[in-house]
Amino acid sequence: MSRKSKGWGAAAALPLLLATTLSASAADLKSYDASKPSFWAHPPPDWFLGDETEGQKGLAPPSGPATPTPADELQADLKKIKLPPGFKIEVWASGIPEARQMAWGSNGTLFVGSFGATNVYAVTDTDGKREVKTILKGLNMPTGVAFRDGSLYVIAINKLLRYDNAEANLDHLGDGVVVYDDMPPYVAHGWKYLVSDKNGWFYIPFGPPFNIGLPPTSVSQIRHVDPKTGLAEIVGLGVRNSVGGDIDPRTGDYWFTENARDWLSDDTPSDKLNHITRLGEHFGYPYCHEGDIPDPKFAMGHKCSEFTPPVVKLGAHVAPLGMKFYTGTMFPAEYKDNIFIAEHGSWNRHTYQGGRIERVIVDPSGKNAKQEVFASGWITGQRDYFGRPDDIIQAPDGSLLVSDDWAGAIYRISYGK
Amino acid sequence: MKTFICVMAAIIVLPLSRATAAADIEAGREKAKICAGCHGADGISVSPGIPSLAGQRDQFIQWQLVFFRSGRRPNLLMGPIIAQLSDADIRNLGAYFASLPANTKPASAKPDEALRAKGQAIVAQHHCANCHTDSFRGERAAASIADQRDDYLVKALADYRSATRPSVGVAAMTEAASGLSDEEIAAIAQYLATFQPAEH
Repeated sequence: MSRKSKGWGAAAALPLLLATTLSASAADLKSYDASKPSFWAHPPPDWFLGDETEGQKGLAPPSGPATPTPADELQADLKKIKLPPGFKIEVWASGIPEARQMAWGSNGTLFVGSFGATNVYAVTDTDGKREVKTILKGLNMPTGVAFRDGSLYVIAINKLLRYDNAEANLDHLGDGVVVYDDMPPYVAHGWKYLVSDKNGWFYIPFGPPFNIGLPPTSVSQIRHVDPKTGLAEIVGLGVRNSVGGDIDPRTGDYWFTENARDWLSDDTPSDKLNHITRLGEHFGYPYCHEGDIPDPKFAMGHKCSEFTPPVVKLGAHVAPLGMKFYTGTMFPAEYKDNIFIAEHGSWNRHTYQGGRIERVIVDPSGKNAKQEVFASGWITGQRDYFGRPDDIIQAPDGSLLVSDDWAGAIYRISYGK
Repeated sequence: MKTFICVMAAIIVLPLSRATAAADIEAGREKAKICAGCHGADGISVSPGIPSLAGQRDQFIQWQLVFFRSGRRPNLLMGPIIAQLSDADIRNLGAYFASLPANTKPASAKPDEALRAKGQAIVAQHHCANCHTDSFRGERAAASIADQRDDYLVKALADYRSATRPSVGVAAMTEAASGLSDEEIAAIAQYLATFQPAEH
């Protein structure tokens, strides 16, 4: 398939794609020099295709439905989801375009960020009847949200905003207060996630504005930011695109998911689950991937042994995003302190994988890690989805809510004998 | 072959599982009355620079309406008209325009044959059919572009080239149009606007 026509809903062009891939010549491969500030600030719209290879040629992110999938269609789709015995999944809310990170207000409002839709939503529940309101519009990729001491926090590309007394003001939140903006303006991999610790500081990921390369010094890192003072420390280095994390309730440590580089192959490198144990720890990017694959171009003499390996290799192109440690009592006792990870699923792979919820059982130290698929079935056919999970939050009753930015919906997974 | 079977299975299964929420073509027809002034009573435009919508792909229509509504595809005429549409309206309009018989009459009776031949070569070279299909009647979110008005095709390609219009399929059309010259765009438009399936 030619680079000139890739990227529509993938299934439409599949037979042709497979046929023409075989005869593609190296001269047709897409290539960008991403090693300069002009590229970081103004990347071409197809910046993610700039390291195209013969093997992965023609792959591009699929386009989802134009509007959120109606609830009754979704409920029918959910019959395809496989869960362990005793669990069930249902539509909890729909009509939420590009729903991303979720956060609970203290009075039961669920706040929801979005990807390109520029919106933040509030889902309110009155006697079981749920209403979705768009409470903020026009923000630059407000994927991350958090709630603390009555205030809603929203992280867009280059600023962290605070909206006070948010639940009482859903219809007129105002412009908010910028509490942190020592952030680069790069949009590529610049969408973020917010995790609040016990002191009210946030862990915030900063991704590189390309697939692979020596990154600008302001990114490829995890920062720890105090929204009261606007001060920050860099706690993790060598991180590619992280859009999910959580605090281990057993230790207070920060764990995070990370999307590995594209355009190496279908099966490498693996995406990661990481654990920060000391300040300034380096996780390998761009020199080393998945703990044991030196980058073909950017290893630059480094050995993988210099860097912190992942706790768990989650698999290539599964795209792990939001994650949560389970602290509820609804699920069976063996789920306590397990990690649930929302995997958004592939685009740079000939047969998609991910598009599911993974369960990881691991000691607080990171030892004895086991992983298994918890919920799957959102991938339809070889390269299409009816939904793509991207975040997880625990509800007060111990059920899990899962956001889906493809279908524009939130699901509820519950357990009952 | 396995791929092909998967695609076919999806096509067959989908309408059954989605029967409960089928878009309402009649409601779409009602909503579309305001469109007729520019896009033609039967969805076939006679106005320069305005596209025909009859037989257009449902998903493509829906995406464009969503782009107009959000302002991502800025347009002084379309913006205010679309601003108040609900998601259901958008699904109904997509289904309605997709249900209309497509224009099969080439836009020009006397095409510039040299330009046409050049357009055909560029279209083949850029593998437009990979997404728009061999008939250029499109599929899913990829637009139907056969026998579209050539003045509109020129405008659309120029807008993609300058990235003033967003592309579905992430950046597929932005990328496809990025290296085209004005002359190449004119040739592509001439070829597609006068497309006749038999010769393909």
